[in-house]
Amino acid sequence: MSYLQNREPPKRENRLGACIVYGGTLCNLADKGRRFSCLRDGSRSFTQGSICLLLPGISILNTLPDNVNLVHGAVGCGACSHSQNANTRSGGNMRTGSVRDAIWLSTALNEIDVISGAENKLYNAILEADRLYRPKTITVVVSCVPSIIGDDVDGVVDRAQKEVAARIIPVHCEGFKTKIWATSYDAIYHGMARSLFEDPEVNEPIIKDDLYEERLSYQKKHTVNLFTVSSMGLADEQELTRYLNVLDQTVNVFPTFADTAKAYTLKYAGLSVSTCPTHDDYLLEYLREEYGVPYIIRHMPIGIENTSEWIRDVAAHLNKSDVAEQLIARETAELNAALDQYRSFFKGKRVFISAGEFRALATANLLHDLGFEIAGIRSFHHDEFANVEYEKLLKNASEDLIVNIANVQPFEEANLLKAIKPDLFLGHWNDNSTATKLGIPSHTIYNSGLAYIGYRGAFELARRLYRQLANPAFNRNLSKYVQLPYKEDWYGKNPFSYIKSGLDVPEDYISKEETAL
Amino acid sequence: MSSYIERPRYFCSLGGALSTLEALPETIPILHCAIGCAGSIAWAQNGGSALQVGGYCGGLAVPSSNVEENDVIFGGASRLQEQVKTTLELMDGRLYVILTGCVTEIIGDDIHAVASEFSDQGVDIVAANTGGFKGNSYYGYDLVLSAIAQQYVKEGVPTKKGSVNILGIVPYMDAFWRGNLTGVRRLLQKLGVEVNTFFTYEDTLDNVRNSSAAELNIVLSDVYGLDTAKTYEEVHGVPYITATLPIGPTASEELLRDVAKTLRLDVDVEAVIREENLKYYKYLEPLADVYNDADLQKYAVIVADVNYAVSITRFLLDDLGWIPVITQFTDVLVEEQKEQITKKLTAAAPLQSPRVVFDTNASEVIRYINELYPKRAPDKYAETIAPAFVIGSSLERSVASKIGAPHLSVSFPVSNRAVLGRGYTGFDGGLVLIEDLLSSAVAAR
Repeated sequence: MSYLQNREPPKRENRLGACIVYGGTLCNLADKGRRFSCLRDGSRSFTQGSICLLLPGISILNTLPDNVNLVHGAVGCGACSHSQNANTRSGGNMRTGSVRDAIWLSTALNEIDVISGAENKLYNAILEADRLYRPKTITVVVSCVPSIIGDDVDGVVDRAQKEVAARIIPVHCEGFKTKIWATSYDAIYHGMARSLFEDPEVNEPIIKDDLYEERLSYQKKHTVNLFTVSSMGLADEQELTRYLNVLDQTVNVFPTFADTAKAYTLKYAGLSVSTCPTHDDYLLEYLREEYGVPYIIRHMPIGIENTSEWIRDVAAHLNKSDVAEQLIARETAELNAALDQYRSFFKGKRVFISAGEFRALATANLLHDLGFEIAGIRSFHHDEFANVEYEKLLKNASEDLIVNIANVQPFEEANLLKAIKPDLFLGHWNDNSTATKLGIPSHTIYNSGLAYIGYRGAFELARRLYRQLANPAFNRNLSKYVQLPYKEDWYGKNPFSYIKSGLDVPEDYISKEETAL
Repeated sequence: MSSYIERPRYFCSLGGALSTLEALPETIPILHCAIGCAGSIAWAQNGGSALQVGGYCGGLAVPSSNVEENDVIFGGASRLQEQVKTTLELMDGRLYVILTGCVTEIIGDDIHAVASEFSDQGVDIVAANTGGFKGNSYYGYDLVLSAIAQQYVKEGVPTKKGSVNILGIVPYMDAFWRGNLTGVRRLLQKLGVEVNTFFTYEDTLDNVRNSSAAELNIVLSDVYGLDTAKTYEEVHGVPYITATLPIGPTASEELLRDVAKTLRLDVDVEAVIREENLKYYKYLEPLADVYNDADLQKYAVIVADVNYAVSITRFLLDDLGWIPVITQFTDVLVEEQKEQITKKLTAAAPLQSPRVVFDTNASEVIRYINELYPKRAPDKYAETIAPAFVIGSSLERSVASKIGAPHLSVSFPVSNRAVLGRGYTGFDGGLVLIEDLLSSAVAAR
């Protein structure tokens, strides 16, 4: 892949035509986007703070064992690690039996560094970190400041690499450069692919005899790379691993909590499977081109149908469709029986969903399957990978379903929620407080300590939603006494009033909603 | 000194300024920065501020100009102007405060010109340069409060006798900020003083605006809030005193005496102190048996920010009667501050003063412990640190488990506790701290 020759990956706005601004109906999105793709991106005249690619980037890097995560920037970049550390601790404990805090360091750039450059500080920090911690890898996360002041980070890394034992992986996460935080996955994979996939201690045999070839081909036949993301926890990994084991596969889980050995092994797998098309295309394509590892990137295994389709795709590739059908039949029968107790309770309840694009859509389709009515969707960005999910949604929701593409922007959400008045809200990490303060029962759409994926995830999610709906007292009581920070007249207005372009609201949207208010 | 800071126990100056505004009544922050700053700060609060994130206008609801590459090239002032205009339309508040992040600070956008356009139209709007590379979140608290004192707080207000402002307790950086401020207010009210703490439910924006009427500013810190107090002194002529964060009887007594003397109050301070002590020790009375039977006196290792490192070490020395052996400060401090703080931590003979360490790399504490208690060849009569107790942030759980000691998180990050109204200040706060320390010590009982 030509991108790998560059120091940094391209931003997703350019690579995938991804956008973050849209307000309109599902039907119009379908038309406008020529089946959902290539939306022209717009902007807003009012915006709220959000996250940048640095945050999800760091959350993955903080899980890597034997890694020191060196954040090159002002002292606040990397402070997100304080919450992510909970995942590193519990995830590490569940996987290895010992609790370990993530190791993150900051070059804490100050005014002098801004004026005179911080290359030497970074160089020294890399050497000191290598000597103190003796890690296998040092990830150098580049934030806004070094980029603007013109630090040659990659030059420093090249220079320092000769002096240290650890492998240094630069990861470019300059927040002002892209609005699409999913670019962070490209940034991490870019850094890893450039410096982590060749094991320095492996000596390939000079003469590759039959036994070597045989062993390699056996390994390839029975090994799958499973790409997880930081929003997936161990329960979800185990659920997918369970299916892959039934298909006679050993699973190499990558990149969260993956040590360097797992990175070296990627190229010996017979197949790479993504769990979220928003995350992995960049690396999967590289592994195919560079090492000939084919890949599947289509469905997110959230929801019954999606999970079955995900298994079918993998099984078809492995010529194990018959085994897969048996597994699917058995699992879905068992699951549907278990879900029966919830379906009548959920029936007709209206749910509003807000999350990363693929997750939001896949979860919407699951909730429809559980009996909910989809009342609104918010995706944090849009790109062509999600078209497959929008097609499914068209079958499951009305064409005038409101779709809002926004990098969180809770003011639009507050307006929509007041008008739509859903019975339940599912939102991203940090995106539930608006619904909560409005008294709407809410549930987080991802939390790495909980199960969401596969058949078991569907059941566990149903259980949790039942619990939230059965006693929403916390949210209901809070809403009686706590206010959102928006002026009262905002709620009568068109929710997409501050979208300068990318707007696609039906002419009659306001009059239609006004009667509901 | 190393070239990095290990797991910094603070955010940047923008983060501290934003957290401060999130706690201020009826205030809407307007960030002029890159898109991720608000989220980074929210995630940091999520993990460090004992489950408290944002407030009325916090988290990802904070208005932010989200400057992009184009703005970096062409300047972001027009984007900010648009953002302020729409924020005024949409966000319900009475005070609007513009804060810069690193990016807009480096490109040099003139936020003050933008602010004055709107203040000319009668909007209460303040602009503060808080770009993250200026310093940490404690400094950000001072940057934004100083800006508010200069640009928003009324000038020429007649001094109100017996009224004070409290500075030095930084919202969200101190997870116990609400409880601590309330504790201080209750303590000083015993002298009949009117107390403005800015950030609690009882405080109002009008009181912030009229805070120049205070007779005295009280800075409950050796570092935080000092710049703000100096700004009040220069701009509004309000004098200030500094005091240790008053945790427990001894520090509370000192504060009461100091304030009564400075304000020349006509109050019998000693009678107030005696009454408070009677109450405090009445609560401790039933502890007398188990405290001694279970041998609950400990050697203490303290790793904390300036406020807690000083106040907890003093509390353990003066009130609870433990033996602090190491006090490590994780803030970046200058030599003069280090000297002044070290002087505050002396113990009376035969007790040795704790070893005072200034090191931002907190995990080094194990090295300092090993230096004090070197591992020798088997010696059954060696001095050891047992029975020990570690007081610090939640990141000190690892050193606590290494030395087999119970642990309590009080200093940022506090990821393993939920704090809403709890506080350690005043006589009552001392009792709360004893409860928390001993609860941890007897958790396996």
